[in-house]
Amino acid sequence: MAVSAPGSDALRRARELSLAGLLGALGLLLPIGLHALGWGGKILLPMHLPLVVAAFVVGPATAASLGLIVPLLSAALTGMPPIAPPIALLMSLELAAKSGVISLLYRKLRLPMWLALPAGLVADWAVLALAAIATAGFFHISASPLKYVWAAVLLSWPGTMLQLVAAPLGVAAIERRLPRLAMERNPGRAPGDAARAAGEDREG
Amino acid sequence: MDIAPLLSVEGLSYAYPGGPPVLRNVSFSVRPGERVAVLGPNGAGKSTLLWCLVGVLRAEGRVVVAGTELTPRTESQVRSMIGLAFSDPDDQLFMPTIGRDLAFGPRAAGDPPEQAELKARFAARQVGLPEALFDRAPHEISSGERRRAALAAVLTLGPDLLALDEPTNSLDAPGCAGLAETLAGLPCAQLVATHDLDFARELCSRALVLVQGQLAADDEMEALLADAERLIAYGLAARSGKRSAR
Amino acid sequence: MMIGRLDLYVRQDNRLHRLDPRAKLAAVAGFLAGAMFAPVRPPWALLGLVALLGAATVVARVPLRIMARRLVAVGIVVGFPLALSRLGGEMTRLAGESLAAKSLLVAASFLVLAATSKPWELLEAVSRAPLLAGFAALAQFILRGVDILAAEVTRSNLAAALRAPRASMRVRLGGLIAVSISLLGRAAARSERQGAAMALRGFDGHFPPAPARALPVYDLLWGAAFGLASLTIGVAARWI
Repeated sequence: MAVSAPGSDALRRARELSLAGLLGALGLLLPIGLHALGWGGKILLPMHLPLVVAAFVVGPATAASLGLIVPLLSAALTGMPPIAPPIALLMSLELAAKSGVISLLYRKLRLPMWLALPAGLVADWAVLALAAIATAGFFHISASPLKYVWAAVLLSWPGTMLQLVAAPLGVAAIERRLPRLAMERNPGRAPGDAARAAGEDREG
Repeated sequence: MDIAPLLSVEGLSYAYPGGPPVLRNVSFSVRPGERVAVLGPNGAGKSTLLWCLVGVLRAEGRVVVAGTELTPRTESQVRSMIGLAFSDPDDQLFMPTIGRDLAFGPRAAGDPPEQAELKARFAARQVGLPEALFDRAPHEISSGERRRAALAAVLTLGPDLLALDEPTNSLDAPGCAGLAETLAGLPCAQLVATHDLDFARELCSRALVLVQGQLAADDEMEALLADAERLIAYGLAARSGKRSAR
Repeated sequence: MMIGRLDLYVRQDNRLHRLDPRAKLAAVAGFLAGAMFAPVRPPWALLGLVALLGAATVVARVPLRIMARRLVAVGIVVGFPLALSRLGGEMTRLAGESLAAKSLLVAASFLVLAATSKPWELLEAVSRAPLLAGFAALAQFILRGVDILAAEVTRSNLAAALRAPRASMRVRLGGLIAVSISLLGRAAARSERQGAAMALRGFDGHFPPAPARALPVYDLLWGAAFGLASLTIGVAARWI
């Protein structure tokens, strides 16, 4: 039964936490599933996809927190991504930046998705480069950090394409079920089609 | 002597954003300690009614609980008086362990941990949930135990009115009978949305019937169940004589 | 708990299982730092860390076959770059060995931690730090989400398998995509109800703090000793 209608602050916060938890869980499960199928995590970036979707449906602070936590949680629970060398830390920082920027642009500043998503990707690469430079020195990694970043960006191009294609589909699937998301983003707009489409989910 | 109603609903109407009306001008009351069934076919508005009573869905009309009218400012007070048990207990169990879930409500209300623990234990005893399950995660216990845990989680707040949404979902016949016995032993008033007429007959003395969002009947349970034509007209029974049951 | 098992806890009763989670986290933090600093060549520092971890595994009575099985996935992932690195120069080979050795060592330490502690106990320990309470609460929801989604995925996969037992890879892939999108929608709907459940039980945006619990001195000493020993081995080897 759908109960998606605007509510009090506590209700909004509770729903956001719950939704973030489920999407964060997908961020943990997808890489495990793909690894089990033998498909490359570094290429398809399976952890990134649910967190990018989450960035469009929760607030910036929650989105950034998700990006920060999920890689570290995955490292603690499954050993991947590795903590040493600090790949999990780099992923945390890049995902936090990407998710935070996307959410800020889409939900707070109400920019369209085709602007917010590429902006998030750019933020991701920028933070990854900065973090790689910072951690290389601290952890005495002699390989060139910028070469690492460039290699990572090139290698993960299929994953980036997947985010550009699949993330909007995922967001649409969620917004269809939760008309309040569209209403919260556009308070002056009439509920309209999204809400009507959600009507099929209702039970007595 | 007339007892003041615990719950008074007047002219309740609700439509989901952009959708047709799901509740239309529903009015009824519930006395303290009374057990009332909300019956109706699928899509009648039973669950929506319960969600409106606790203010999750903002409906038109008046809802007054123990003299307090439901408004955005009073909703937390009203929610402390009405405990809503969901049709799917998994939606209601969100803490890592059963014990912590039961203690969540009292802790959120400001009770110290020891007090919250006491309330959790008491509520567990009320519904026959073994304390040995307190350290288990929700996915580690059976669906019947999860249903009892979800009920206990609501009871820790000591509600005056317990609202239950399809409580017999996925319960077998002994489970249903056990749940009816448990609920009959609770002192609070109860409003039970269900399509299980046998369960409703065991537990409740009065029935409200919703048809397409409107209150079609407010009658004694036995009188309603004895009238086959009315049951068929309300969509609670098929022409062949088979009633909605387990 | 989920497809495969994400729940790594091994039910035992020993000193390490009973150790306060905060002490265990401190021990792992020290071990992590030691592994970061330890050079790959000469290998005596890494061997020292392996010995420390081995001792912890023995005390915890975690069956070695379970540890080995859980390390296989990590081994496969780091094995590929290790093999590739053999084709490069000396620096590349060293980087490959460092990646492989340290990844396995750190993963093993987290696996011992996970085998001896329930996830929510660790999160509760983390939540006591004021700045980390919010993160711990979110992590708790993520772990609960894993249970819920894993059950839904299992049911969906089973339903798909029963309806199309001899489906081709293309059909299975299409099914996987459809299940994923449907799962997103169902997860969203469930999150609304779960959020409502929290609000109905008085959630006001802040979680009640975890009950205060004193850290036993004995546990603190053991955790600190393990962590410091690891750190000392790594730092000493780096500087000698």
